Amino acid sequence: MNCKELVYLLGDYLDGTMEEQLRGELDVHIEMCDSCTNFLNTYDKTRIICRQVQLNEIPEEFRERLRSFVIAKAREHHKGIEKYLALAAEERRKEVRSLLRAFREKRLSPSLSVLFDAHRNRCEICGAFIRALNGGEDPASVPPEIEEHFAEFLDALPPGEEPYRS
Amino acid sequence: MHAERLFDDNVLLEELRKGSDEAVEVLFQRFHGKIYGLAMSILKNESDAEEAAQDVFLTVFQKAHTFKGNSALYSWIYRICVNACLMRLRGKRRQETVSIEEFMPVFTEDGMHASPVGDWSKEVERKMLDKELGNVIKKFTEDLSEKYRVVFVLSDVEGLSNEETAQILGLTVPAVKSRLHRARLYLREELSRYLREGKVA
Repeated sequence: MNCKELVYLLGDYLDGTMEEQLRGELDVHIEMCDSCTNFLNTYDKTRIICRQVQLNEIPEEFRERLRSFVIAKAREHHKGIEKYLALAAEERRKEVRSLLRAFREKRLSPSLSVLFDAHRNRCEICGAFIRALNGGEDPASVPPEIEEHFAEFLDALPPGEEPYRS
Repeated sequence: MHAERLFDDNVLLEELRKGSDEAVEVLFQRFHGKIYGLAMSILKNESDAEEAAQDVFLTVFQKAHTFKGNSALYSWIYRICVNACLMRLRGKRRQETVSIEEFMPVFTEDGMHASPVGDWSKEVERKMLDKELGNVIKKFTEDLSEKYRVVFVLSDVEGLSNEETAQILGLTVPAVKSRLHRARLYLREELSRYLREGKVA
């Protein structure tokens, strides 16, 4: 072990990740070398006093400006998401309406007819809802739960098959 | 919603995704100081640091849904911050930095110290409360090139572990250790010269 090697290994020596035997070799060298003892002390002290360096503080004026920016952008961002979700919901509402109309006018595709019949026999609320339609007019509104069930038919449609004849 | 719940990282992110104003406020209060300080230490310019801080918050909002919680929130945000700063640096003229080689210790051919090393560790302890010393150290770190400065600030100033620093910067742990070691050697030498000459060269 010489001074150059010791200096190279100081980081590991100080952070305690050094293997016992190597640490012993460094200790022996430090014991008999004044320059290395001093180097170790000053290197370690450098590390310690740097902990006390404070990061730059944000000026008050910047802080307020940054805060207003952050709050405004967060709202804008969230509004963007809400708008997107509202559009998607509106789109789905329209699709379900067309689906119900196609059902009443017997324009459903073969697989969708099967799915529709199977579902309304199995699902109480959808069954009741469809019976209540009773061949009459378009319903004023479709309850969300029922809308969800009907939307699932569209997702279950075999690829390439149109849901209904236009 | 109790405000204390927002100190849980995952709850905070969940509330941010829902658009809670309170969560935005907590996020801002918890991180704006660190983000700005870190950005200043990398960019060394107030208006650049302010713009980088804005970028960081925007990215956090946009990517809130991708935070998985397998690393701490602060280290995720530090990574976003470092990236935002490095992007900004890329577009700029390279800053003047010292050549770190000039500050590396010198050895004889057989690996002995080329000149005797003095011990100023006790002396500096007495100056530790001195504001000037703090400013001098800060100036020395600002002279470091960004390659060393970022590692040094995260590990030795912010006190993160080498593993965390490596993760934030996308470096290996040995690379972090080696940069950190060289940064400390540089600072040790700058401090030696400063204490010997009583002024910044």
